[in-house]
Amino acid sequence: MMNSTPWLIAAIVAGSSLSAAVLAQSASDARPPDPKRGATIAAQGTPSGAPGCAQCHAFNGASDGSGAFPRIAGQSAHYLAKELHDFGSGVRNNAVMSPIARAMTPDDIADVAAYYASLHAPVLPLPPPEPALVKKGEQLARFGNDEKRIQACNNCHGAGGTGEPPTIPYLAGQYSNYIATELKMWQRGYRKNSPNQMAAVSKLLSDDDIAAVAAYYQQILGSGELANSQ
Amino acid sequence: MTEEISRRSIIKATGAVSIALVPFASSAPPAEAATPAEPQPHSHMMPASPQADAPGPTADDTKAQRPTYLFFNSEEAAFIEAAVARLIPSDSEWGGALEAGVPNYIDKQLAGAWGAGERLYRSGPWQPGTPSQGYQLPYTPAELFHTALAAINKSLARTPFADMSDAQQDDYLAGLEKGGTDLGGVPSEIFFAQLWQSTLEGFFSDPVYGGNRDMISWRMIGFPGAYASYYDLVDQHGIKLDRPPVSLAQDMHGHVHMDPNIPASSP
Amino acid sequence: MAETLKAVDAVTIGVGLTGSLAALELAQAGLKVVGLERGAARFTVPDFQSPTIHDELRFSIRKAMMQDNTKVAVTFRNSSDQTALPIRRWESFLPGQGLGGSFVHWNGQSFRAQVADFIYRTHHLERYGQKFLDSCGEDLTIQDWGVTYDELEPHFDRMEYLIGVSGKAGNINGQIQPGGNPFEAPRKREYPNPPMKETYFGAIFRKAAAGLGYHPYPQPSSNLSRPYTNPLGLKMQACVFCGFCERYACEHFAKGSPQTTILPVLLKNPNYELRTNCEVVRINLDSTGKKATGVTYFDAAGREFFQPADIVFITAFPLNNVRTLLLSGIGEPYDPKTGKGVVGRNYTYQTTGGPAVFLDENINVNAFMSSGAPGTMIDDFGGDNFDHSNLGFIGGQYVGSIMTGARPIEFHPTPPGTPKWGLEWKKAVARHYNHTILVQQHGTSQPSRLNYLDLDPTYKDAWGLPLLRMTFDFPENDIRMSQYIADKVVEIGRAMGGKVVVRGGTKRPYSTTFYQSTHNAGGAVMGDDPKTSVVNRYQQCWDVPNVFSLGASSFPQNITYNYSVTIGAITMFALDAIKNKYLKSPGPLVHA
Repeated sequence: MMNSTPWLIAAIVAGSSLSAAVLAQSASDARPPDPKRGATIAAQGTPSGAPGCAQCHAFNGASDGSGAFPRIAGQSAHYLAKELHDFGSGVRNNAVMSPIARAMTPDDIADVAAYYASLHAPVLPLPPPEPALVKKGEQLARFGNDEKRIQACNNCHGAGGTGEPPTIPYLAGQYSNYIATELKMWQRGYRKNSPNQMAAVSKLLSDDDIAAVAAYYQQILGSGELANSQ
Repeated sequence: MTEEISRRSIIKATGAVSIALVPFASSAPPAEAATPAEPQPHSHMMPASPQADAPGPTADDTKAQRPTYLFFNSEEAAFIEAAVARLIPSDSEWGGALEAGVPNYIDKQLAGAWGAGERLYRSGPWQPGTPSQGYQLPYTPAELFHTALAAINKSLARTPFADMSDAQQDDYLAGLEKGGTDLGGVPSEIFFAQLWQSTLEGFFSDPVYGGNRDMISWRMIGFPGAYASYYDLVDQHGIKLDRPPVSLAQDMHGHVHMDPNIPASSP
Repeated sequence: MAETLKAVDAVTIGVGLTGSLAALELAQAGLKVVGLERGAARFTVPDFQSPTIHDELRFSIRKAMMQDNTKVAVTFRNSSDQTALPIRRWESFLPGQGLGGSFVHWNGQSFRAQVADFIYRTHHLERYGQKFLDSCGEDLTIQDWGVTYDELEPHFDRMEYLIGVSGKAGNINGQIQPGGNPFEAPRKREYPNPPMKETYFGAIFRKAAAGLGYHPYPQPSSNLSRPYTNPLGLKMQACVFCGFCERYACEHFAKGSPQTTILPVLLKNPNYELRTNCEVVRINLDSTGKKATGVTYFDAAGREFFQPADIVFITAFPLNNVRTLLLSGIGEPYDPKTGKGVVGRNYTYQTTGGPAVFLDENINVNAFMSSGAPGTMIDDFGGDNFDHSNLGFIGGQYVGSIMTGARPIEFHPTPPGTPKWGLEWKKAVARHYNHTILVQQHGTSQPSRLNYLDLDPTYKDAWGLPLLRMTFDFPENDIRMSQYIADKVVEIGRAMGGKVVVRGGTKRPYSTTFYQSTHNAGGAVMGDDPKTSVVNRYQQCWDVPNVFSLGASSFPQNITYNYSVTIGAITMFALDAIKNKYLKSPGPLVHA
């Protein structure tokens, strides 16, 4: 009855909220993830030839802000691991990530996911987007659009787009180019995971809608909305 | 609990916390807005895992203040606080109704629309019915509580409920529950049933209503709360989901996102 | 003095499922239609979005989507020798209010009725004989519907495809299909969408039931298993198993409702006009009393209007359908003393209540990950699917593990012997919350001459009109039925690994103080004999042929299953006849 695929095993990370979602299985199932080993892999790569993640994603997971490489600092460990497995198995296809993921063992994947999940990286200074675009994106992100049958992105991606661990990644602070690319990949059928959710949602979005939500989420961490707390 | 602890000292130390029901975005300290913000480390409200939870009353509870009561006078509040502490007591692992802010919840409900009789058919004539016919008293919840509490406090004038031992309090509550006592026109079992129902609501409802402080009940039972998209998890049969619970308006960092501009819904 | 408005071709009293279906059909046929809805307009965006929609206190406990009892309630008594008193707060059943009606907050449980259901009396007479039926209860008034399953089949299909039901066919053209319900009435083709992902509680039930020789199948669900575009071109999404289904609206466009499946098209049709916050107080009749001239209603500001119309559709919650007929003087009200009259007669409910199964604390049920129509069930005890010859009752129940969530104010089970409050209670809640499965028994409700609806002599609504009075208790037949099945279900509970199984089964007297079902039925039943029915097989009033009363009020007795899809089927069947026959030649469609 229980799915014993190793990669579901808990990415237990100390001191992090986003990735604290844990899917625990019995202790006899597998070794707990090792974020320190993950840090080493991030820096140096693996013996099997996977390059260090930091080369593209930076050691702190903030990547370079261009959107060519997603921000992964503080992302849900479960989600990071799943995407790596999907790259490795071909469910998700990317010229850069697929060979890297294939070169990683399940332990490697669990460890780097745990490492990056534990990080808090600063928001990179990026050119501010058009306010009108951000406003339009906010409308879709928080309320949706009845005419177009689009629900609020935050329904699943959490208040402020901060994610719903373990399975749903944060969008807050994710780079707009990356968000836009992935939505288009789903729209066109190239990204094949989440066929019943993200693929369907993406097909409801126009290019303007995509640009808007992408702009909104990229700027949200610095905008004050998330800076406010109770 | 076997220790005889002064009711008053407990109430002072761990009394129900005043929760701002609708925090406004503008209440952020200015310093945070001035610099590019880092994602906040998780607040004390969002423990990383149940193991990291401080069991029972936390250090923060000792700093907790009594709520500002809008409905209960101090005599009524004293009874309610002591009564809910017996209905759902705290133990070494988890706090109870008092720590969860249930008196605050009940107070705000009674002071609001529900207390005033929202969604209650209020026309007479009134007559007692059969058990199948349900509530048939003319009292709104607010009137019910004021009437019953006045009668209770009057009858206990010499030995206030809050001063009784745990066992005496339990006996008293059981007596109310059993019925046979008229509380100024309110049959005691009807008052007790409503008090219990309100206590349950205050313990288990979303914290935006002023109870279930720190989502203590949800952490205790493992209910993940309001953000609930489980499409990719529902078929992972038997997994243990240890995600900290989330309230209606909170994100995974513990920040609250109530926006005054959200259009009022029709229901 | 009421202001008379410009006449229209048709008016619907209520804009829920049946009101939306009727309006769409007629507006598309070129008629001018006005929809009058008592409640407010509401739409998926913005009204049903997170975070505010996942609020158990507001929607489950305070019943935000339900009719406002301060204005209109129902009075209730178990039997005629009692005085009916107001149901001052809804508990046992929850009539919806607002655009979309109860079809917004329903669970999406989507069954067809059985072949035998529509020829209920004939079928039971043939199989068991009059003597057996008498022995089940001399007060029982079971009857045939006047329409057959075969005639309705294409409309069941249309309804399922309209709302995107997700399931596995059990019987296609007489061929039993593996994985489906072998007792299912035959269908022409598969469901429009595959079954939902199986929840853990569904899997545990399935294995136990199969091991005992029963035939488990996935519950048919209008919370969709995949993205879907319905025949009207409206796109729906896949349900995410949020566990906030019944009593809530769906934020994801994933639940079948008028908002997701009909209204976007209907509201764009220039022949249709929606008026919300309008309380219809009566249907106006001409001097003959045999023709409706329109309806009288009050708008939100309290202004009175008369809306003339050629056709009046009563499309409200079933209890309100009956009340409208009584307030308007359409049809002879039922008198239980003489047995004469039809309006209010054959009121039925639903017989529910199954066991709680407490499992080992290592088993994480995670029922908070659920949908409105999840899980697995068996139909081995449904309807007349089993031989009743020596059992002394008719009717049956489906049985299944179909938990729709684990919202804590409503769900905090403790095993028997646990104190009702205090420390031990709290510890028991923590111990058992995520390791307990509820199994549901849900079944038929036989009609009795003792159970009926009429107008209350004492209590009034906010407009000064009499409330509907409900006189109802479970017939002894139904008690025997549910108790017999309860014993069988305990065995299933034990096979599920239940360390403690708290037996289900229904008891008398029926109480309005705790939730059971919102499937109130009957009171304006359909049939082929005006002496025992209010409407004919097209749900057209015998007495006033330009009035159609659409909905579960037409059911002569209630079926085993949740009845929304059946309501859709009989309504589509009626609208077909209205479009193709009535409009060409208005008048009675059936001559008794």
